[in-house]
Amino acid sequence: MNDLLWWGISGTDWALIGAGVAAVLGGIGSAVGISVASNVTSGILSEDGTKFGKLLPIAAMPGTQGIYGFIGAVLVLIFFNLLGGQVDLPGALGFKVFLACLPVAFQCLVSAIYQGLTGASAARIVAADQPAPALIFPALVETYAVLALIVTILMLLGLQAAAQAAGAL
Amino acid sequence: MRVPFVKEVHDATRYGFAVGKVRVLETRVFRAATYERLIDAPSFDEQRRILSETPYGAFVEGAATADDVEAGLERALDEIYGFLVTAGLPDPVARFFRVRYDYANLRAVLKARLLGVPADDLLVDLGTVDLETITGPTPGLPENLRAVAEGLEPVDGEDAVEGASPIAPERIDAAVERAMFEDILACAKASKSRFLRDLAALEIDIANAKTAIRARRRELDASTLSGLLLPGGELEVADIQGAYELPFEEFIEVLARAPQLKGVSAQDLLDAERLDVATDGLAVRFLRSGREVAIGPEPVIAYVMAREAEVRAVRTLLIGKLAGLGPDALRNRLREVYV
Repeated sequence: MNDLLWWGISGTDWALIGAGVAAVLGGIGSAVGISVASNVTSGILSEDGTKFGKLLPIAAMPGTQGIYGFIGAVLVLIFFNLLGGQVDLPGALGFKVFLACLPVAFQCLVSAIYQGLTGASAARIVAADQPAPALIFPALVETYAVLALIVTILMLLGLQAAAQAAGAL
Repeated sequence: MRVPFVKEVHDATRYGFAVGKVRVLETRVFRAATYERLIDAPSFDEQRRILSETPYGAFVEGAATADDVEAGLERALDEIYGFLVTAGLPDPVARFFRVRYDYANLRAVLKARLLGVPADDLLVDLGTVDLETITGPTPGLPENLRAVAEGLEPVDGEDAVEGASPIAPERIDAAVERAMFEDILACAKASKSRFLRDLAALEIDIANAKTAIRARRRELDASTLSGLLLPGGELEVADIQGAYELPFEEFIEVLARAPQLKGVSAQDLLDAERLDVATDGLAVRFLRSGREVAIGPEPVIAYVMAREAEVRAVRTLLIGKLAGLGPDALRNRLREVYV
């Protein structure tokens, strides 16, 4: 492959960038999402402290996207032996690893924020003492973060198998 | 290009806590059942006992006369407006609610001076300007109020000398109302809240519709009406003026068809009492739309206005009971309520 395609960045560096992007964007999404939901749930708790048990999962739920990004990053490090000192991944392979990290990175960034907003709305169900399970609605948003994580894992598994077959690992 | 999430995250950071509080507090706003209990209470003491279980308990405790009720509910309203500040809403939002009391007080003072009577009993201490300043000399008033008072002073003085012209009180009403809505509109714009701007426009539309109908009943000419209509509403002043020359029934039909007054029928517009109820309903429906916003200043503003309506309803029921009105009369006086 032409080295220009990889903009002078080595394969290992591309893989590390991919892992970093997955962890950082997922983490940013989670931090914002938790902040959004927590502001509202804190307001509710300031008036009615008995609802803590029902509100905590709603506020905490956007945190899962940060975990998914973290899982994607750790899988890159494990699958491509970066923890074991592999520092010379081919440029093409490293770039593909980077691409494989993008689904979980961007999906988790966006879905965590939306999940925080949905959680903030769902908290109203708890505030109004309605019998409906408020947790269901933000949980629906979670589905797509999980699917993105699965896609990233499948891509990484495929790349790992291809790299092993080519003797790059 | 709008950056995704920025407004949502900003609103959640700025208003999230207040919205959370409101989500609990709005469940405590009186429902129809509470009003029914207050209506059916056999006495004022029983009404007070019912209210003792609510946030109003402390405010009407020991009240025995209509003045006591007024004073207690005034303190309750003061606390409600104070919530806007503690909720972290921009200053113009709190001013949007309080500034109308400044103008109501100014109107009372100007009319009292005109008639040569004391204004003290007519003043409400809920505005942004303290009562001592309002009742003091005109040069000491804040600029917005001073401009209104100075604009009326020559007429005021002449009338006082000549002895209560029937025109002067109406000129005071018109000048104060115009200045008040200009101020309210400016507050709404300064708050950068679309909801508040729309609310101000709705209030102006309602005021203009009522003004036009009153003017038509009194057979004022179109040029007089144009001086009375307020700018800043969604309902075009030119459209009202255009329809004003039509036969009365057609004029009413045109107003009733205006999208800004959706939900107000021609029959409502023809009956002064029904008109008040219908326009109150218009405002209540608008506020309900604010409640449905997930995060932002809207739910907080809607809650405060709901509490305002609640205070009005409680005042009606308590003072009505003190005046000896029966359940049916009290029920008729209640407007459509918030929830």
